[in-house]
Amino acid sequence: MVSTTVVGSYPRIGETPQEQRLRRALAKFDEGAIAEEELRSVERSIVKEVVEEQRAAGISLPTDGEITWYDSQSHFARHFDGVEVNGLVRYFDTNTYYRQPVVRGSIRWREPTVVDEWSYASSLGAGPLKAVVTGPYTLASLAKSGERPRHETIREFAEAIAGEVRTLRAAGASHIQVDEPAITRNLKDVKLLVDAVKTVATERGTAWLSLFLYFGDVAGILDELAALPIDNLGLDLVQGQKNWKALASHGCEVPLTLGVIDARNTKRDDPRGVARSTLSLKGKVPLAESYVSPSNGLEFLPREKAREKLRLVSETAKFVEAGL
Amino acid sequence: MTLLTTSVGSFPKPPYLTRARAQHSKGELPDEGLRALEERATREWIAFQEEIGIDILVDGEQYRGDMATYFAENLGGCEVSGLVRSYGNRYYKKPVVTGELERPGAITVDWWSWAQGLTKKPLKGMLTGPYTMMDWSFNEYYPSREDLALAFAKVLHAEARDLERAGARVIQIDEPALSARTDELDLVVKALGAVTRGLESKTITHTCYGNYDTVFPYFNRLPVDQLDLEMSNSGLDLLERFRREPLKKEIAFGVIDVHSHVIESPNQIRDRIERALEIFPPDRLYIDPDCGLKTRTVEEAEAKLRAMVSATRDVKESRGLR
Repeated sequence: MVSTTVVGSYPRIGETPQEQRLRRALAKFDEGAIAEEELRSVERSIVKEVVEEQRAAGISLPTDGEITWYDSQSHFARHFDGVEVNGLVRYFDTNTYYRQPVVRGSIRWREPTVVDEWSYASSLGAGPLKAVVTGPYTLASLAKSGERPRHETIREFAEAIAGEVRTLRAAGASHIQVDEPAITRNLKDVKLLVDAVKTVATERGTAWLSLFLYFGDVAGILDELAALPIDNLGLDLVQGQKNWKALASHGCEVPLTLGVIDARNTKRDDPRGVARSTLSLKGKVPLAESYVSPSNGLEFLPREKAREKLRLVSETAKFVEAGL
Repeated sequence: MTLLTTSVGSFPKPPYLTRARAQHSKGELPDEGLRALEERATREWIAFQEEIGIDILVDGEQYRGDMATYFAENLGGCEVSGLVRSYGNRYYKKPVVTGELERPGAITVDWWSWAQGLTKKPLKGMLTGPYTMMDWSFNEYYPSREDLALAFAKVLHAEARDLERAGARVIQIDEPALSARTDELDLVVKALGAVTRGLESKTITHTCYGNYDTVFPYFNRLPVDQLDLEMSNSGLDLLERFRREPLKKEIAFGVIDVHSHVIESPNQIRDRIERALEIFPPDRLYIDPDCGLKTRTVEEAEAKLRAMVSATRDVKESRGLR
């Protein structure tokens, strides 16, 4: 049966005062007006709200919305040895910014990054909840690493992320996703990506492992990606329009997460039309074992639009299911 | 005239104006009450620039919130979105293009005319560029990014014409998103050209915090008279490249880091200007901060501008420049 999931991030504030409590709490925390426990408690209330919002919209494999992440790069770098966190840099072609990790020495996993957050969100019940980690190739590509050989930086980040996957699995995570958007900008690096993902996958144990590649297409490297030791391959089919043709012509044996709902634009997608396009892949890809999802994390949209996109994911999945 | 000093556009809003804007958004202050305070803050900034001797003034954008939504609020076919995150705990609203863009009337001309009336020195007309407007908007109407950028260019060209008719001699078109997608630099040139085509005023484009290495070959192709670049934060390394591949237009050279609380020392600024003078002739070199100063406090912004003007004066005196 075609299922539904999200890529990871979700808007942490909305338009109402109640939906802006995290913004207020962070401002108060920065002023020293509230203690860390109070901030954490507000964060958790938002995580709960976001998980419930996803489930209510019919998302069968939600995430914690990455509510506590400062950004997808520095959130991990802060928990690794050998990496410092520096100034703001534009995140791909979005008008958002991340604090750039700077590699100062050997990179080593020091302590869990997302395990507590995943455990809390997962404890809210009602089915599995996907843990998300930023992939080693992307961490290395967006970090500053001076004269260090690139393959070594990627390998060390891969070992550090493998450490995180190991602790996630020990904490009971059954579904884990590795995000590698940077590869869409540099397909010729596929060998580096493949080695890095293999390193991470050594710690997956029995967990379902997905690799998600957004912000562009990976049409030229689909075969290499499909050969990886993963259970699911996530593709951006909005910014990565070329993925459609590649899937139609080459097919893919690995179940997919089909990022078909536009997560970068407020425009309402047409779920029937999107389902029709998806069904054109019938027979070429294992649709019945695949997921429908937004094209990337939903945090680039206002909250009410993100909510609408969740509903569109569910509607699209129903139309696809009906057409199978 | 050499080493003329100027600013990029925005100045910080004084605390009384920030409070008033919050009250206004809650409906606790009428439009006229807010306008009076915006005028007071603008008067103060014009007077300050005259007092310290800046050559080409800006109005400080005390009446604008975000540089993109300010235009979106005043265009037909455009709405403003809910909040989206920029980084950390900072959020902003984006334009949402829902129909064909139309300009019911001039957007910036009233404020420009009023503020120009406060000074005899030239005051820049300030527009947000078509590529940046497109890149920072949600597009629910136009079939492609190029179509939307060119639609913004059309309304911005009309706005620039109106500014010119009102007497503006310098028009700046900000393109901070210029290097967002390096495969779209031809579109930046095309859209900017559609705004500046046929204008008689001096045209400037400002950009910052981008991937200058990739953009560099396009600098001479940008259809404006002057390029305004953030140089002190990351760009001083570019000087060598400018030596090898000369810029064929004027440059406004950022010598003040707008993201730092620290006030630059006179020596630091003099050194930056001297380094720029190794490459650019003094009659084509303008001195300004890296970017708009709106994220600093009023005191920090004033101290930084004073230091900039004073250091520029020192360099001119030591070199006998006028």
